Amino acid sequence: MGTTAENIYQLRPVSIVRSLPQIKEHRLFQLKLEDGGTWDAFGHQPGQFVEVSIFGVGEAPISISSPPTRSEHLELCVRRAGSVTNALFDLEKGAAIHIRGPYGRGFPLDVLRGKKLLLVAGGLGLAPLRSLLLYVLDRRSEFDEIILMYGTNNPENVLFKYELLSFYDRDDIRYLYSVDRDEEGIWKQYVGVVTGLFDRTALSPQETYAVLCGPPIMYRFVLERLLKLGFPKEHIYMSLERMMKCGVGKCGHCAIGDKYCCTDGPVFPYREIELIKEAI
Amino acid sequence: MKGLAKKDLLSVLEGWRGLYSVLAPLRREQGDIVVDRLDSDRFTLEFGKPSLSPKGILLPQSEVTFNVEEGAYRETPAKGATLLFGVRSCDAMAILQSASFMTRDKEDIYYRSRFEDLAIVVMACEGPQNETCFCTTASTGPWLRRGFDLQFYDLGDLFFVETGSERGAELSSGEQFIDITDSEILRKIEDFREKAAAAIPVVHEVKQSMTMLQDDGVGDDFWNRFGSKCIVCGGCAFVCPTCTCFNVYDQVRGEGSGQRIRTWDACLFGGFTREASGHNPRGSQALRLKRRHEHKLRYFNETDIQEALCGCVGCGRCSDYCPVHIGTLEVARAIVQSK
Repeated sequence: MGTTAENIYQLRPVSIVRSLPQIKEHRLFQLKLEDGGTWDAFGHQPGQFVEVSIFGVGEAPISISSPPTRSEHLELCVRRAGSVTNALFDLEKGAAIHIRGPYGRGFPLDVLRGKKLLLVAGGLGLAPLRSLLLYVLDRRSEFDEIILMYGTNNPENVLFKYELLSFYDRDDIRYLYSVDRDEEGIWKQYVGVVTGLFDRTALSPQETYAVLCGPPIMYRFVLERLLKLGFPKEHIYMSLERMMKCGVGKCGHCAIGDKYCCTDGPVFPYREIELIKEAI
Repeated sequence: MKGLAKKDLLSVLEGWRGLYSVLAPLRREQGDIVVDRLDSDRFTLEFGKPSLSPKGILLPQSEVTFNVEEGAYRETPAKGATLLFGVRSCDAMAILQSASFMTRDKEDIYYRSRFEDLAIVVMACEGPQNETCFCTTASTGPWLRRGFDLQFYDLGDLFFVETGSERGAELSSGEQFIDITDSEILRKIEDFREKAAAAIPVVHEVKQSMTMLQDDGVGDDFWNRFGSKCIVCGGCAFVCPTCTCFNVYDQVRGEGSGQRIRTWDACLFGGFTREASGHNPRGSQALRLKRRHEHKLRYFNETDIQEALCGCVGCGRCSDYCPVHIGTLEVARAIVQSK
């Protein structure tokens, strides 16, 4: 067969540096390469993902939450949902696992550079979007106005709480947070679905690029809202999620029409998928 | 152009065994046809359309991709060169199309190394092998225009042998192969081709249904009707020569050791697209059947080799084996009727 370097399924050893609890059933894993490589050389783009492999359990695609501008660790924000993530949660600090990647098409940095950005995240959708958010904050001068809209179902499920709070100290990002429900009455901001946030801030659709990441239901309503506000379709990008096995466009699981979420996505320009019925 | 006396065929096949693992159609004791390691006693030329396509030669039904020892993944080594004798043109085209997909962009080295080491010897069809053959619709037969190493035409006592590559020229350089210059025989080939193509009717509904799918002209009701009939056996995908979707799982032998294995999978299964959260973008059998047929007749990821349809090569096996008659032919005809 070919040399190992040619094998698209070949894995790289990593270790878990920290496993930081986030909200219930969500953790932020910080990884270190154990084959002598650096994350700088790994060279991921915001919005890309890795295949995480735990032998005996399998592989799962996980989006990268950290930006390439912070290359000490690779960070994965993971919900305990399937067999691989369950096994991952049971591992101790220092445990050895494997990854492959980085894979897929990330957020279109070249398109976004110099533009006003509207980032809309729902729930765990903030995990991949965080790689872009921190990237643009780290290179703040390269981007125009930044607006972050983030909605979760209730106040207990706000991810990256301390980072979101830290924006309070800066005046170069506008942020609007929402929760669907607030039964305890503790939420100081907007209560309602994330689209409600569009009524609470002024947007300039012709100059703004919208980047979405959230559950499928969110896309339909946010898209409707963006188009109604006059966002050109060319200004809308979205990160999609699909069941994946190989991550490199061969196994067929993540097909969306004639596209593969793993190689053509996970970030798609809305224009590319608007006519594919099963996409959104 | 070469010729080979039919009586010399077996000795030629046996001779090729020096360089290749020769796979050929065999008739087993029970009467069924398999394509397997050459067994001269069981070799047959009366093989029609074998039940299974040859895709498993390149993408085995189950294949170890890594041996895992003490947590380290070691790639499984390549096996030697293989010669596939007697493959039908539709199946050979499926191999070529699948190879274009498996090696595009990011190369699947398991597939690529087997493909590079595969000699393809086509047996041209002199007519349909059964009533579901529609290669003339898919432009994949009854013989191949390119992509083969050798192509045999059965002219009775003699095979006319067409060379399609350098490897083919080497394979046919033995003394049993005679040079053909006789214009009488060349005329016979033209005659063979014409008669063969004419004997396999074009199924116009296949192309009509492709246009309708392209225009989103097939409604949900249509897929619901077939979805309620499908028994979710996955057989259509497993017999399909161009279905290459696979699943990956681990076989554990001990702590940190075992094998990573990939196996055929099918988009007809609910778990194929179900995410860990439980969300399933193709949540009904109707949507899954729609996907399968759109991948065959609307969305292609393969590269065309000879102005053929891509995705479906017209072998008809899905129509042969679906227990509830949801083959490509039945679906295409029903799509056109639903207009």
